[in-house]
Amino acid sequence: MGEAIKAAIDAFASPVSIFVGSILVFAVFMTFPKQCTTRWVSAVFAVLFLAFFAFGLTDEHFRGIVTKPDNVPIVAMLFIFGYFTWFAMKKAVDNDERIAKGEPPWEKTEADEKVMVFPYLIYIEFVVALFCSIGLVLWSIFLKAPLEEPANPTISPNPSKAPWYFLGLQEMLVYFDPWIAGVLLPTFIILGLCALPYIDRDTKTSGFYSYAARKMPIMFFMFGFWILWILLIIVGTFLRGPNWNFFGPFEVWDVHKVVPLVNINLSEIIFIKWLSQGLPSNWFLREAPGILIVLFYFAVPPVLMAKTVCKKIYEKVGPERYGVFIILMLMMLALPIKMFLRWGFNLKYIVAIPEFFFNI
Amino acid sequence: MPGKSPSLYDLKKTTVWFAISSLVLLISLVAMVLEDSTREWKHWQKEFVTYSREKAEGELQKARKAVDQKKLAALEAQLVEAHMSANEQKSKVRELEKETAALAIKITQTTMRYQNEKQFQDSDRYFLEEHRLHHEDEQAAEFAKRMEERAPVIDSLKRDLEGLQAEDDARKESINEITQKARELTRQIQQLTESITRLESTVKKLSPNVATAILNAPMLDFMKPTLQIQQIVLENLYDDYFFKKSNKVDRCTTCHLGIDQTGFEDAPKPFQTHPRLELFLSANSPHPAETFGCTTCHGGSGQSVSFTTAAHTPQSDEQAAEWKKDYGWREMTHAISKMLPLSYTEASCTKCHGGVVDVPQAPKLAEGRRLARTYGCAGCHKIEGFEKQWKVGPSLEHVQSKLEPDWIIRWLMNPKEFRASTKMPRIFHLENTSDVKSAEKSDASIAGIAAYLMKNSDPIALGSLPTKGNPEAGEALVKEVGCLGCHTAAGVDANNFGPELTGLGSKVTPEWLYAWLKDPKHYSSETRMPNMRLSNEEAAHITAYLLEDRNEKFESIRLPIVKSEVVDGLAMMFLKGRLRYDDAQAKLNAMSAQERLEFIGEKTIVHQGCFGCHTIHGFEDTKPIGTELTDEGSKDVHKLDFGLIHLDHTRQAWFYQKLKEPRIFDRGKEKVYHEKLRMPDFGFNDDQAERLTTFLLSLQKEDIPLEMSKQLDLREQEIERGRYLVAKFNCQGCHTLDGQEGKVRKVFDDAGNAPPLLTGEGKKVDGGWLYDFLEKPVTIRPWLSYRMPTFEFDEESLTHIVRYFENLSEVPISYKDDTPKPTAENIEAGKKLFKAFQCIKCHKSNPEPGLSASFLAPDLVMTKSRLRPDWVVEWLMDPQALQEGTMMPTFFYDGQSPMPEILGGDALRQSEAIRDYLWLFNAEEAHGAAQPQVPQAG
Repeated sequence: MGEAIKAAIDAFASPVSIFVGSILVFAVFMTFPKQCTTRWVSAVFAVLFLAFFAFGLTDEHFRGIVTKPDNVPIVAMLFIFGYFTWFAMKKAVDNDERIAKGEPPWEKTEADEKVMVFPYLIYIEFVVALFCSIGLVLWSIFLKAPLEEPANPTISPNPSKAPWYFLGLQEMLVYFDPWIAGVLLPTFIILGLCALPYIDRDTKTSGFYSYAARKMPIMFFMFGFWILWILLIIVGTFLRGPNWNFFGPFEVWDVHKVVPLVNINLSEIIFIKWLSQGLPSNWFLREAPGILIVLFYFAVPPVLMAKTVCKKIYEKVGPERYGVFIILMLMMLALPIKMFLRWGFNLKYIVAIPEFFFNI
Repeated sequence: MPGKSPSLYDLKKTTVWFAISSLVLLISLVAMVLEDSTREWKHWQKEFVTYSREKAEGELQKARKAVDQKKLAALEAQLVEAHMSANEQKSKVRELEKETAALAIKITQTTMRYQNEKQFQDSDRYFLEEHRLHHEDEQAAEFAKRMEERAPVIDSLKRDLEGLQAEDDARKESINEITQKARELTRQIQQLTESITRLESTVKKLSPNVATAILNAPMLDFMKPTLQIQQIVLENLYDDYFFKKSNKVDRCTTCHLGIDQTGFEDAPKPFQTHPRLELFLSANSPHPAETFGCTTCHGGSGQSVSFTTAAHTPQSDEQAAEWKKDYGWREMTHAISKMLPLSYTEASCTKCHGGVVDVPQAPKLAEGRRLARTYGCAGCHKIEGFEKQWKVGPSLEHVQSKLEPDWIIRWLMNPKEFRASTKMPRIFHLENTSDVKSAEKSDASIAGIAAYLMKNSDPIALGSLPTKGNPEAGEALVKEVGCLGCHTAAGVDANNFGPELTGLGSKVTPEWLYAWLKDPKHYSSETRMPNMRLSNEEAAHITAYLLEDRNEKFESIRLPIVKSEVVDGLAMMFLKGRLRYDDAQAKLNAMSAQERLEFIGEKTIVHQGCFGCHTIHGFEDTKPIGTELTDEGSKDVHKLDFGLIHLDHTRQAWFYQKLKEPRIFDRGKEKVYHEKLRMPDFGFNDDQAERLTTFLLSLQKEDIPLEMSKQLDLREQEIERGRYLVAKFNCQGCHTLDGQEGKVRKVFDDAGNAPPLLTGEGKKVDGGWLYDFLEKPVTIRPWLSYRMPTFEFDEESLTHIVRYFENLSEVPISYKDDTPKPTAENIEAGKKLFKAFQCIKCHKSNPEPGLSASFLAPDLVMTKSRLRPDWVVEWLMDPQALQEGTMMPTFFYDGQSPMPEILGGDALRQSEAIRDYLWLFNAEEAHGAAQPQVPQAG
């Protein structure tokens, strides 16, 4: 029975299913936040999640990976992430209801009553600090530093993994050229996070959780954080094995696994597959369709969106800030789009100019 | 949501949490300290203290029992008595002591005054000299005067002092006299109980006490704990961390506490003494611990102090299971250097001991290297240090004159079918080529090889036999002339150096065998088979005998049917490797059926690397096909293909498996015929595989500084060159040499019929003579039917062998003319002695039959050209000293001559006289000397 479940899970698991599944869960959660944060639904979710984990731990391979000292913090992150997402959403939904009823948000009622920093706050902080110390001491007793052999230039470990917090970026390397996945996108992430407070300068909902007041921004942010960051880290940590091949959670990491790599570039699809003619020798001509698509992607949707779904935002923040926002958002969305293109059409690069190492 | 302030602000509750957290923190801190202080090695050190204490207590009890109690009691009684008598004179002693105390004060006072005066005197001398130098005569005179006045004072003080000391000595002497008896007795008692006292103090030191408990207590053990990590830092040996080399630090002795001490031979592990203390660890051994450490040879992580992290490697699965149970052992997957299992430790010797044929004191490794040479590993695998390796298989340049193609085909199907002891491995029809398709291909390849060899070998002229030989005479000859020095034959298995001589009737023709026996080099210029200088009749007899034996089972093996489409398929496979399909097809079509067969034969020879062991026309310069093995012992385990076989991921496991079942790593794999593993099956048994594994593990390159590795001096290098030739030509198959008994000697009941011992040969025979002898052997012992063959050595080899013998006997190169210069007196005396000792009785030029071989000795006419003069004298003085068990009588027992009337009875001079006489001894003299003996002998 157990083996059959494992086999079924392994058979179902693939980057596509995981990604699509997660987006579905994300969509449901963001669409029905109230229902999703009720006691029963969240309890069922938590139980299911824990049950999966408990079941997984009976498997030697799964246990080996999740209890690996390097991976323990990531496992902890799963729980922490789940809890705080739930917590924030619950508070936000509560507040939204209160506001709808004309009551002040919950944080406001609490803020009316004041206590002294000392002893109340300091004392609590001190106790929390003690618990943190206990946690660290116990951790250091039970989990030894996961040191490996001294680096040997002739042997690289397989899989060669980045530190856990970079595993999302490493996962992006599957879909993008290193300079995009390793340089451009991280830069945009940092710049984007810095820019956020300047794009949305609305102070109306400052100081308390609220979902209804900024549905769109929260959804965008959560998509980036949940799907494009946390999920990619999970995939990179637990499901990527030797040679960066994808493995199901209960599948043994076989170094010798061979999977076909049959990806092709857009120019090849257009000129060879569709037009049945050779690739143009001029790179610009060859890549013209791809370049046009990229230019189209960054030029047309912003305008359309400004007039439709993002009309409110556009009106609120004005063209400059909208421009920055929309570029950041399109950059972010480029990742899932590229992923789906890869899965659906084996597309390697939209623009591939090996002449000067420029691939998109 | 409650409107009231959340409960977190409740001070009381926070305090409860504070209490809980403080308690848990305290517990976790205690756990941390305990975790740090209850370390594995401390446990072993405590165990060792207990063990040593129990051992010392045991010894103490034994020592107590061993003491002569009666004697002790008597001494103690005497002591009491002595004390009593001393007590009677107590007042006198007290008086004397008082006086010496007073004297001591006086002596001190006088000494002080004396030293003061001397200081002034020295100072005045300085000023006197200074003033004199500056010509200040007045002042100089002043100082001179002072010195003159002081001199007698100093003298008298010195005399006083001497007087006082004499008085003091006298008094002390008197005291001594009174107490002497007691002191003497005390000393005797102490001597008697010395070991007890020593052991008692050891036991006390090892017994638990408060002070050591405090020093070793957690948190206090940073000061001066008695339990501490022991380490050896090696100055000249390094651990390589790829980007950085660091001095080797071995902490093994932290737990292996008795390893370098005697007395712990029977101790439990890990306290046991090293089994070869005379060779390793001890300060006066060639490998002291302080210089070589432990991990240099054993491998493992020297800095680690726990059983697991030190990378101990179990010997077997059972041991692994035991370790897991007892020590929680697990494999250190990340360790750079894991310990070698004990059975393979010898593999480390070659890190420092290079350039030698056999590493001394490493029998398993030596055996492994010998196997590697015998089976010709270096034929297919490049191995540094084995470049000079000879080809182990016979040359196939003229094979069409020797073998029939059918025989070759049957042989290649499975060589062991013809001769179970053959060194030729099985190449075809092994586990990865056993499916029907592959088997067909293999059959075609075999037929191809036979066809190729027939076509591409040159015939040699074979004469006809002079007579039809007599097999019985042949059998006797095989046993007598020396065939057994290399071959197993005639049911005698003393040597397996050359092929076992069985079934030859099914293999070769009489003409070929006769020609081969008469002159092996005629058929194969590179053969190691020497020329036995057989007469035509002898060769014919041996031929007749050897061909009598047929292997009928082998002859009846059905020849495989080779399908033409399989041949074509194979040919196409080879052709497609280089040509486009159409071109390949065209080329194939242009070939006749026979040509196709020859073509696949040629390609198969290349593919299987037959030329690694055999010289084959057309493959003189082809590169060997195997992986280079120079670094194999340190090859990264990831680079070894374990295939789908479940096996420990260690080098030794892989090597062993590969040697036992060379094709096993193809099991379960999907491969086309010519991509399958090619290593042939030698049929090694477990022992051989283990030895070869040791050899393979020894093939490692580690940067050992020159001063740490063994450097051969010139003498040792020359010896090694000789050893190489001795191994190549199997000298030790017949002769006892270089510490190894001649293998064939055990066959002879009468040691006198066995080939001679060559221990000390370099000292015995003249180098020039030896050179000539090896080049062209002459009969020395005519009664021996065993004969020294002609190896047809080249000049270089001859020189190497001669230098080898001389170096083994530590004979220096000498340009001194050491020919004896005999005096007339010596010659006369020598002649007399020669007669008196009846030398000629055994040393006859033409020994007549009847005497047992042990009583026969070399012709003395040869002496002057053959032997070294000094050796002859030494030999005559005491033959047993040079060659134990020799039948040569000792004439001079204890250096005493039985003939006192000759040369004053001086044994040495008499020996020299005999020697001098022998240097004039010629055939005539021999004849003359032998004459009068005839009637006596009759």
